Amino acid sequence: MKAFTLKNPTSLAQAIEILGARTQGAVRGSHGKLQVLAGGQDLLTEMKEHLVEPEVLVNLKGIGGLDAIQFDAQGALSIGALATLTSLEEHEGVRTKLPMLAEAARSIASPQIRSVGTVGGNLCQRPRCWYYRNEHAKCLKKGGSECFSYSGLNKYNAILGGGPSYIVHPSDLAPALVALEARATLRGPAGEREVPLERFFTLPTEGSVLRENVLAEDEILVRVTVPAPATGMRGTYLKFKERGSFDFALASVAVGVAIEGGKISKARLVLGGVAPIPWRAPEAEAALVGQAMGDAAWKAAGEAAVRGAEPLAHNAYKVPLAKGLVFRALQSLSRA
Amino acid sequence: MAERKPPSAAAWPPRAALTVLNHDLPRVDGPAKVSGRARYTHDVRLPGMLYARVLCCPLPCAEVTLDLAPARKIPGVEGVIELMTGKTGYLGQPVAAVAARTPEQAEDGLRAIVLTLVPKPWAVDHAQATAEGAPKAGRNGNVSKENVAGDAKDAEAAIAGADAVVEATYTLPVQHHACLETHGVVVDYRGGDQATVYCSTQGTFTVLDDAPGELGLKSSQVTAIVDHMGGGFGSKFGIGIEGKAACMLSKQLGKPVHLMLERPDEFVTAGNRSGSRQTLRAGASRDGKLLGFVGDVTKLGGTGGGSFPGSRPYIYSFEKSCVRVRSVYTHTDSARAMRAPGHPQASFAMESLVDELAAKLAMDPLEFRKRNLKDPVYRRHLDAVAREIGWPDHPNKTAPAALADGIGVGIGFAVSTWGGGGGDGCEVDVRIDRDGSVVASVGTQDLGTGVRTYVAAIVAEEFGLPLDAVVARIGDSRLASATPSGGSTTTASLAPSVKNGAAKLRGMFAERLAKTMGVDEARLRFAGGRVADEQDSKKSLSWQQACAVLGQEGLSARGTHQSDLAANGIHGAQAAKVRVDTLTGRIEVLKMVCMQDCGLPLNRMAIRSQIQGGMVQALSYGLLEERVIDPQSGWALNANLEDYKIAHPLEIPEMVALIDDEDARGVIGLAEATVIPGHGAIANAVFNACGARIRDLPMTPDKVLAALGKVG
Repeated sequence: MKAFTLKNPTSLAQAIEILGARTQGAVRGSHGKLQVLAGGQDLLTEMKEHLVEPEVLVNLKGIGGLDAIQFDAQGALSIGALATLTSLEEHEGVRTKLPMLAEAARSIASPQIRSVGTVGGNLCQRPRCWYYRNEHAKCLKKGGSECFSYSGLNKYNAILGGGPSYIVHPSDLAPALVALEARATLRGPAGEREVPLERFFTLPTEGSVLRENVLAEDEILVRVTVPAPATGMRGTYLKFKERGSFDFALASVAVGVAIEGGKISKARLVLGGVAPIPWRAPEAEAALVGQAMGDAAWKAAGEAAVRGAEPLAHNAYKVPLAKGLVFRALQSLSRA
Repeated sequence: MAERKPPSAAAWPPRAALTVLNHDLPRVDGPAKVSGRARYTHDVRLPGMLYARVLCCPLPCAEVTLDLAPARKIPGVEGVIELMTGKTGYLGQPVAAVAARTPEQAEDGLRAIVLTLVPKPWAVDHAQATAEGAPKAGRNGNVSKENVAGDAKDAEAAIAGADAVVEATYTLPVQHHACLETHGVVVDYRGGDQATVYCSTQGTFTVLDDAPGELGLKSSQVTAIVDHMGGGFGSKFGIGIEGKAACMLSKQLGKPVHLMLERPDEFVTAGNRSGSRQTLRAGASRDGKLLGFVGDVTKLGGTGGGSFPGSRPYIYSFEKSCVRVRSVYTHTDSARAMRAPGHPQASFAMESLVDELAAKLAMDPLEFRKRNLKDPVYRRHLDAVAREIGWPDHPNKTAPAALADGIGVGIGFAVSTWGGGGGDGCEVDVRIDRDGSVVASVGTQDLGTGVRTYVAAIVAEEFGLPLDAVVARIGDSRLASATPSGGSTTTASLAPSVKNGAAKLRGMFAERLAKTMGVDEARLRFAGGRVADEQDSKKSLSWQQACAVLGQEGLSARGTHQSDLAANGIHGAQAAKVRVDTLTGRIEVLKMVCMQDCGLPLNRMAIRSQIQGGMVQALSYGLLEERVIDPQSGWALNANLEDYKIAHPLEIPEMVALIDDEDARGVIGLAEATVIPGHGAIANAVFNACGARIRDLPMTPDKVLAALGKVG
């Protein structure tokens, strides 16, 4: 790892001021020279592998109040960006009111990583594509001119939304939170702004191919809020890991449905591990609404969820896999 | 002084009489290992010690030039050496090494080396290596001369007369040893005529083959220390290139040098299990008799030859057979021995083929196996594992299960064979002191089989003492000589020498005590921590009292190998039960069962642990493990423990390890046999569960879904 300076701001304002250097003078445009450090579970690995070599790390952990998880009187949930994945997974209110979110948190990495890794870090983590993670590969995501996965070994890459980069977004919280209609609060020099989490993530064709989200150079993700779930809404997060103990998703599904009078009245369905962003599938949601829970609806939702998929040479299996996961996730909701 | 009688040859007591051996013995060094007190090579810290790293070539084949000068300017860097320049032979070939005061400075130094690579055409896989005009990875081209055994015409004729014929190609990837402790050494040479080399090795004395020459010393001037080692699986003999680099640096700088490979380097330069590609054709008669077998086998061992067992069909008896075996060379590091070299590859293909034939004949695969295995021990083992896994009540024996909600449950079988015998080469000093201390000393290493425990246990058994009354000293080349641990030969080589030494010493001690106690030597019994006249219970001494008769010099004897205490040739059978979700391709292994023979079980707990470890490693090979090198870019894509997936706790199913107590022979090593059949059994269980026949490891969900016809 390259030597760096560690800055320990004690307020968000200080942190943002430091980050402001990214928009000025010598550091301008070199996002990598200043990096925000939270749990460090992704960033430190990237630094050890020389994928990024920041000169300054802005440590957020000295800033108080960023790790709170709380429900307000209306039942909306607020999760501070520094809340650990373990604290989310173990939060009694989250477990009972938003089990999908607790399931997603529990599916991440290992207990050791979850005890240190943060919610903000999970949402802002970089791709796992093995070309991106190879120091020698100067790929699109690292300012190069080629996405090696496109013609290379792309078993783990995108079937939806790919091009020119074919990464898949690695976050497990992201599909669950998008399914829960969460909003992200970003803090910059001009104060806070809120964006639907669904709009927080960007395809390679939207914005910079070097980034996976809309965070500006001098912004920090400070909080995610989840509205109180609609009446009768129940959801689950189902993740397929090649190695159950510790793995990123080959594919995953976050799905929530409300049932009224024996029919699905509302549905939210988001796929993970198949696209450069958490992949909301409105067609699948539409296929569910108005139907009774059962094999036919679950199959139709799966078909609709992967409509338009364009597999690469080695990842066509993700199409039946995602369909199978949609089916199993909905099936588990009907049993619960 | 009366003439001393020659010590009679030792014999294992009847099993029913054993009080320590053939019992469950927690490892004597377990607490040290789990508490972190055990010192591995990686843990060695010496005054003034430098940390070293090696630079591995990141391309499979390139013209390499090095500029080392910038590395020398890095603060803390004390030594930089070139290991090679010119055209590299394989991905990961070490080209330079750096020693510095801290590991971080060593890494900075390594990265400061200006490595200029001119890529040369390479071949990293079977397709590239066998393509027209492929760049040469082997000295004489990429395909070795064929080794042919049996007559092809006879075998083909036998197949032609068969009622069922199967032809299929089975492939297995390159697997890694994935030792928890990476390869490496700490070389302590500060000039003069003495050096100590701490090494993570499976052969204490193999260090003395390499290190002295590198240091310019004689082997008598070098001490090798292998106190504990964190896994070898066949990959750790001698000191390796990394050890040579550490010797060069230590000699040059006059300081101790700590050089343990970094994990990514371990994945490209420290050996592997050779891949395999086997096109097999076989026929069987309607009544389930195997008739003819033609095998075309390719070993993928990088720059090395790779492994494949024998020249006959693996274990099963065919009337006529012909097997052709060749190596295909690639620009990747040489395969090394890995737990039962070649056998897991041969077993997977053969057990799949046998299963495919049984299915084609609509025969019970268990009965089909038993009919074609000559050795009755296999039939006993297969019946035992079948009972334990629930085969008698399994509803679908001859065809895949009917799916319920897209989920199938299946059972599969496979068998294994191994040698496990021992030989000369281990000597053990056993010593009693007047304060009651008992020590058994031998320079051997513990590759993970619990050597300290059984060495102490054999001596404790001999003297009727509890296990903790005996100390086993190992892992030091100043102690009595021992063989390296390869081929599961250690137990059958070492245990007889321990027994022989302990029995000699008991004879000497009995003679001495007989005089003191006024008892006929033949009537002295060593049991329950006492030495007593078996006919007169009043004539009895506690162990402490008995030892007090000794002089300050104590009493000691040296044991040598006694071949009749060991045997050779083992069998095993495994069964696996799986659940397959045909919607997602998920394979969940529910249960694995193994029965293994091993002669006299020295430590039942350690044996069950070996069996379980073997099953886990086979499961991991079958479902997860595969080295990935991108043929286009030449990069190693999963050279880390995240992307190179090995089984973790949640992958481990219910496991039942059965020791075959009908085997009345002396001690035999079993560790390697246990890794041979598990993945074949799982593959067969997957077929039995859902009809997906997967002929290519690892059995990842993409392959399951493809085999089910679901990938468009």
